[in-house]
Amino acid sequence: MEIFETPLPGIGVRYEFTSELGDHVGVVIRRDGKRDVALYDRQDPDSCRGTMELTDSDASKLAELLGGTNITARLDSLRHMVEGLAIEWVTMPKTGGLTGQTIGDGHIRTTTSASVVAVIRSDSGIPGPGPEFRLEPGDTVLVMGSEDAVSKARIILIG
Amino acid sequence: MFTPAGVHFAVDAAQPAHASVVLIELGIILLVLAGLGRLAARIGLPSVPLYLLAGLVMGKGSFFKVDAGEEFLAIGAQIGVVLLLLLLGLEYSPADLKHGLKTTWLAGILDGLANTIPGIAFGLILGWSPVASLLLGGVTYMSSSGIIARLLDDFDRYANRETPVILSLLVMEDIVMAVFLPIVAVLLVGSSLAQGAIAVGIALGLVAIAFIVSFRFSSHVSRAVHSRSRELLLLSVLGLSFLVAGVAEAAQVSAAVGAFLLGLTLSGQVADEVRTLLPPLRDVFGGIFFVFFGLTIDPRDLLPVLVPALILAVITAFTKIATGSWAAARAGIGPRGRWRTGLSLIPRGEFSIVIAGLGVAAGAESQLGPLAAAYVLILAVVGSVLMRMADRIPVPGIIKPRTQPPRP
Repeated sequence: MEIFETPLPGIGVRYEFTSELGDHVGVVIRRDGKRDVALYDRQDPDSCRGTMELTDSDASKLAELLGGTNITARLDSLRHMVEGLAIEWVTMPKTGGLTGQTIGDGHIRTTTSASVVAVIRSDSGIPGPGPEFRLEPGDTVLVMGSEDAVSKARIILIG
Repeated sequence: MFTPAGVHFAVDAAQPAHASVVLIELGIILLVLAGLGRLAARIGLPSVPLYLLAGLVMGKGSFFKVDAGEEFLAIGAQIGVVLLLLLLGLEYSPADLKHGLKTTWLAGILDGLANTIPGIAFGLILGWSPVASLLLGGVTYMSSSGIIARLLDDFDRYANRETPVILSLLVMEDIVMAVFLPIVAVLLVGSSLAQGAIAVGIALGLVAIAFIVSFRFSSHVSRAVHSRSRELLLLSVLGLSFLVAGVAEAAQVSAAVGAFLLGLTLSGQVADEVRTLLPPLRDVFGGIFFVFFGLTIDPRDLLPVLVPALILAVITAFTKIATGSWAAARAGIGPRGRWRTGLSLIPRGEFSIVIAGLGVAAGAESQLGPLAAAYVLILAVVGSVLMRMADRIPVPGIIKPRTQPPRP
């Protein structure tokens, strides 16, 4: 399937493709995250048979329905592939543990061999935070390693 | 104060009384705008023509009279122009401009020529000065990206195949405006030919430098302005905008162009955040700008220009249809899409008023203000209606292809 990309100045980007069964579909990704999906007329690609407007979360739900891979599913398959690999989401407490300190301060890697792979702060994800990264209350920390290492890391993180 | 013409309250007596009158007047004006905005939304029309009408009704020589708050309105209108153009610039990234220039330059030139010439010719026929005629050319040239973008969204046409053509033409118009306004600003000062040429050279040089800065150093400027605090971000962006607009005005590049170029320069996260932060402020001051423009016009001056405005509107509606459908045909769009493209470019709005406002402020031609107001009133309303009905109006034979359209 070939996807054509057209910039829409001031709005976002439009992607267009023809499905294997011959349907002509356009998807507009607006800068604010909204999506417009349009189904073009088979005879006349210049007119739309209908459009639907999706918010950011509508779009990700629809993507799940359509069989798109979401993060949890992908992590699950990763866990299956590597025997004994543990992945844990740790939410930082208000105080105590490593809250207010940097990742380097916890010496997680040297003492437990587990790794901090990512941090999710409010809605944005920070992949591969460095040792100088300072953790804040409410951050969600993604730790990977062996079962044992991850549970030890968890104790260091939340105290 | 809102009193029948002739009867005046003594507003100049004490300061506190004056302040109260100003506040009351502004309150009434904003409430009128709010009411009209609701009405516009209900009947599916853009709000610009209604705001203009409100200004006309409250303006010179009419039944109602605004005077205490006029000073604030004048400054508010200036701020409105700066915000309108700043946000327009923010809508586009330098990459959008490059892409637009690359793909639609020919259609853009044609659009420019076909839609300025009627305005200029019309001005000259009316016996206006060349500068005033050039301004009228600008009025007839600029489609309203505000109205058109809003309506494309309302009518769910973002995904349509012809939409990129419409948007790139609008981008081209905005780029042309960034060059057109400084030239006009210099011409309006009315110096000798040699002095004028030098001033135009300087102004265009500044615009060119600003373009280069916005292309090259966009991320540096954006980083310097950015702040996590909304308050600080708003203060820095507004401060920078007014400063740049003021300096641009002083250098005869025109405040509007300064703000537009600053908007282009800001990009990335700053642009995203400012785009959510500033629109309400722009809508308030933009509303004030349209009202103020209407206020400066005596409604009785409208009658004599009504017929010329109507003729000009019909001519330039056709030229827009022609250039729009030509551009769409060139992009491989079928007849119905071409027809929609042409109709979608008809609405004129904020930029026509900005251009006319320049001439009115400089006293270029007494009829320019009323004619532009009538013209925009007609085409903002008619253009929006035509855009809505585009799919129900049969495509005229001239647009239909003589041969079979290529199947994709």
